[in-house]
Formats: sequence, structure tokens, C-alpha cells
Amino acid sequence: MIELRSISKSFDSIIAVKDLSITVRAGRICGFLGPNGAGKTTTLRMLMNIIRPDTGEILFDGSKARPESFRVGYLPEERGLYQKITVLETLQYFAGLRNVPDPDTQIKHQLKRFDLDARMHSKVSELSKGNQQKLQFINTILHNPDYIVLDEPFSGLDPVNQLILKEVLEDMKRQGKTIIFSSHQMDQVERICDDVALIDTGQLVLAGDLKEIKAKHGSLHLEVSPESVAELNHPYFQTPDIEIRGGSAFIPLANRDRQSLIQEINAVCQIRAVKVAEPGLEELFIQQVKGRTA
Amino acid sequence: MSFLKIAWFEYRRRIRSKWFILATFGMPLLILGVSLGAGYMAGSGAGIDTKHYVLIDETHRYGPQLVQQLDQRYAEDEAPPLDLALMTGSYIDLHHLLDTLVLDRSLDGYFVIPPDFDSSATLRLYARASSNLRMADVVESASQDILVQSRALDLDLTAAELEALFVNVDVDFFNSGSDEKTENEELLAEYMTPFAFMILLFFGIFTGGQLLLRAVLEERSSRVIEVLLSTVSYNDLMAGKILGLGLLGLTQSVIYLLVGSLAGSHFGLSLITPSIAGLYLVYFALGYLLYAGIYIGTGALFDSEQEAQQAIQIISLVAVVPMLLWSVVIESPNSLLVNVLTYIPLVTPFFMMVKISMGETTLFQIIATVLLMSVSVYGSIRLAAKIFKTGILLYGKRITLPEIWKWIRA
Repeated sequence: MIELRSISKSFDSIIAVKDLSITVRAGRICGFLGPNGAGKTTTLRMLMNIIRPDTGEILFDGSKARPESFRVGYLPEERGLYQKITVLETLQYFAGLRNVPDPDTQIKHQLKRFDLDARMHSKVSELSKGNQQKLQFINTILHNPDYIVLDEPFSGLDPVNQLILKEVLEDMKRQGKTIIFSSHQMDQVERICDDVALIDTGQLVLAGDLKEIKAKHGSLHLEVSPESVAELNHPYFQTPDIEIRGGSAFIPLANRDRQSLIQEINAVCQIRAVKVAEPGLEELFIQQVKGRTA
Repeated sequence: MSFLKIAWFEYRRRIRSKWFILATFGMPLLILGVSLGAGYMAGSGAGIDTKHYVLIDETHRYGPQLVQQLDQRYAEDEAPPLDLALMTGSYIDLHHLLDTLVLDRSLDGYFVIPPDFDSSATLRLYARASSNLRMADVVESASQDILVQSRALDLDLTAAELEALFVNVDVDFFNSGSDEKTENEELLAEYMTPFAFMILLFFGIFTGGQLLLRAVLEERSSRVIEVLLSTVSYNDLMAGKILGLGLLGLTQSVIYLLVGSLAGSHFGLSLITPSIAGLYLVYFALGYLLYAGIYIGTGALFDSEQEAQQAIQIISLVAVVPMLLWSVVIESPNSLLVNVLTYIPLVTPFFMMVKISMGETTLFQIIATVLLMSVSVYGSIRLAAKIFKTGILLYGKRITLPEIWKWIRA
């Protein structure tokens, strides 16, 4: 478990993080969300002891003592790789620094897992953006750390590699690892995370179990798909609280009776399919952040 | 022991690089090539611009002799530096014409041997600029010979007696305690060795320093620094880099010392003794560490190499001072100026190596400068560590001097 207790950090007169408290439970994946400049990267850097908080404390499994580097894996937001050395040399160097036992076997295993084994002797600069991100991720988990801190891990990855990364994270979760990652890709966070923490202007907006948060803060919607997409142009659907997306209209249920609502809609279009949809994380995110700035 | 792993990584990846091989072996070859090329060009006359002068002889006596003497002097030169043409007439008659020629650059100048030259022993030169000074010296020296010869003839001396008056005195060099004459090549080598040590030290220290600066900027701009700092401490990272790149500079120095030593022994010269080589390594280590602090601290303050290089140029200029004062050091290694400069840590290693290789230092001076350098290194590395720790993660921010001062005091 990782606990951030009332941490604050300022750079001169700019407050980057203010009195922030977050708990990342062991064996769970926590999505760390926030708009640009919210203080996510600063928080993760404090977590990694790269910079020190001005006030507050960070505990790993209840202890203030920072775990040994070989127990933590960190993936920075931008590519932290030497460009002029090979993939193998990169991994060998960091494996050496983290005292990875039998590094060559580990390196080969992970390269194969991420389909990078053929590029083992390529220079990092010769790799595509996606492959560099994969290499970066391998470097983060090569030493099988207990705590994994990832800053935008899905950035630059195609859907196939996003899936591989998701599977690896879920696998690590099953092994009881404590994982926190920041992302702007709400769909990924929604699919992978058990918990979320949303911050804005350095302060916590909401945090906790993702399902509970959605139930508490989001409202259910009626997802209506008409026979013809053109029917969505009807004035009935042109109100600010109705979202048109992917050939469907998302109408907030609020406290309204579902049956009477369906009859109301049926009067303006021919319904092909209808179902009750959970609130999306993206919507929740926008709602919370806009709510603060309004 | 993470710093040893970092040091080994930095050392290994750079020693195999083309850049290092080129710098280590290419630089001395380049210097040698440029020196030989310049020597050849000078010998071939390609670097000489012949100056054209006119001579007005108002004594009607010395002019032809002077022209003849100078012609003989440059008879074997492909491109004589001086072309002196005798013109009949007086200064009064000719100076308008000659002044015009000088002003429109058809002529570099004109000499006048005045009627009272016998008693005054003074020539006059009319020219445009000070670039004529060297030519004035040449003509002055030749005129002096002619005047002396003339006066000797007035004393009714025979040609043989006259010749006997003009003798060239040579000085043969012997090393104290030896009866064997020191050859000119040997003297030249001994003369050039201190300079070679200074250049060697300069290259060694600044190659390591530049690599250090680039390494810090590379890790800073690629954000590798964040991954490293999540794995190792600031101190380990800094120490590893300084050590690794210092070893690289040391490797370069050892190669140069070995090559210099082998080349010396090939010609029967023992210019690099074990004690000189040992002291060289001591001053290299101290000088490198002092500048390493400066370079690593500077690297942590800037985002781009261009900005960092501009900042570091000021420091590098200080290190050029010993080279600018080279002739002073070699002529007067124990003068007040040189002794004072020897105790300025930024240039101490360079001055000390010159003095050591000339045998012009004392044990006290060696101990004192080593102690001074050690204290300076401690200060430099400590300050660099404070700047490195705070500045290395401040991206895109222009850091001010008051801010640096605040970090140092923290």
C-alpha cells in the first residue's frame, strides 16, 4: 500500500500540489487523473523521491522508510531512454543498477513478451515511438518491483500493444503489486483501474473505488439508438443535457420513470435499441473539473 | 556501489565511440599536421608577402652595397620578404612621387640614407604602418654591417683583418655533470616538452569536462535523469558520471604519455620520467575534478547545449591564460607573476606542469598546490552537488543567480 498524507509542494510562488492525500491499496490498480497542469507529474515525482514534498509524508506499507530502488518501478511521462545505445545495453545497464538476478534471462523473456526480441541489438533511436514506449515499460518492470508508478504508460501505443500492456498490468495486480498510473485515456483507466484519484490545481477532487464513485457521482443514462441516425437531428435531442455519440443519444435518467421516458422518445423517433448505460469516466471527469472551475 | 556501475557504463559506452577514438588519435595528428604544414608553407615561401621598398642614397656611397648585401641575404629564398630598389636622386626631388606611390599602395615605403649617415648612423623610413617595423630592423642591421665595414676600411685594415673582426660566437649546451654536448634537436624537445604537457593537460581536462556537460544535458533533455534518480541517489549519479568520464580523460592522458615516452626513447630522449608522469596524473585528477564540478553544475542549469556552452566559455577562457602567457612562463618560471598565477586554482595544474617539466619547482610548491587544489575540488564538487540536486529537474525555467545562491545556502 502507498499512502500520500497531506503532501504539498510549491515552486517559488506556484503551488503545484496542495494538502494532497491519496491511498493506493496493495493488489489494486489506481488511476491518477487530472487535467493538464493539475500536479500529477509532480505528485508522482514526489512519490519516487525525485523531488521532496515541502510538507506531508509518503508511506510505503505503513513505513516512512523509502523502499529500496529494486522494489519500485517508475515510468516517466516522456521517454527516459538513451538514444545512442542498443535496446539490450539499455536494459543491461538498468538491470545492473537494480541488481536484477540473472538479468539476461529476464531481459530476453520480457523482450519476447513485448515482441521486441528481434530489435534487441537495434539502437534506441532506431525504434518507433511505440517500441520505445514498450522498451521503457520493460525497463520499469524488469526487476519485478512491488510498487509500480507509471506516468502516461499508454502514450504512443497502438491498440494491440495497449492490450498487451493492460494484460501485463492485470497480471501484476494478480501478483499483489501496488500500481498507480496517470493517464488522459479515460477508456483505459475505466477498463483497467479498480480505484481512481482525481486532482485539479494540485488538490484532490475525488478518490476511491471506481464503481462506487461512478454510482455516487454519475447518473445513469438511457442509451437510445434510432432506426436512422438522421432521426437524432430531431429538436427533442438538441438539448444540452443529451449527448449524441456513435449513432446513439445518451439521455440522463435522473429520477424519471424509464417506461414513460421511452414512450416519450418513441413519439419523436423509431427506436431500434435501448439500454441503460452507466456514466462514463470521461463525463465524470469533465463534470467534476468543470464544476470546480465554474 | 551504484556509482561504480554508472562510472563503468559511462566509461564503456564512450571509449568505444568514434568520437573518442577520433579525439584521442586524431587531435595529436591534426596538431602535428598543422605544425608541419605551417612549417612547409613558411619554408616554401607561400606564407611570405614580399615588401617593396625604394632606397634613396644621399651619401652616394652606401646604397649599392646595402642593396647588394640584402640581395645576397635573400638569394636562396624563393620569395624574398624584402625587395629594395636603389633610386638615384635626393629626398627633396623624389619624396612627392614616392609618397604618392606609398599612399596608393604601389610601394610599401622608402628608406633614405641621409648625407650625414657617417656621423649620425641613422636612416629614415617613410611608410604607412607599423607592419614595416620588421623590414626596418632588417635594413638597420644590414646598414650597420656596412657602416662598420666602411669604418674598418678607413682604418686601413686588410680584407683578412676585416674578416677576422666579424666572428660568429656559438654557445654549446652541456647538461650539468655531463661532458656530452646537447644536440639542438634535444634542446628543442626539452623546450617544447613543458608546452606539450600544458596542451595535454588542457585537452585531457576539457575533453572530460565537455563529455560531462553533454552527458548531463543528454540525460536531462531525454528525461533519463528521472529514471536514474528513481533508482540511484543524486550523489551516486554525480559521482559515477564524474568518475567514469574522468577515467576516460585519464585513459587519453596515459595513451599520450606512453606515445610521448616511446617517441622520446626512440630519439634517445627521456623527457617523461616516472615522477613527472606521476605528478601529471595527480594534477590531471585535481584539475579535472575542479572543472567537473563546474561543468556538471552548469549542465544542471540549462536545457540546451548551446546555452550551456555559452556559459561555460567564460570559464574555458580562464584556462587559456597559461597558454597566452606561455613565453613568460618558459622565460621566467619563477617570476612573481607566474608564482602568483600558480596559486589560482583554475590555472594551477597548467602552470605547475610547465614548472615541473622544466624542473623549476620545489617540493613545498607541489605540496601547497596539491593541498590548495584539494580544497578547491571539495568546494567545487559540493557546490555542484547542491546545484545539480535542485536544478537538474527544473525544465524550461530560466534560473537566476539569486536562485542559485539560495540553493547553495540551503
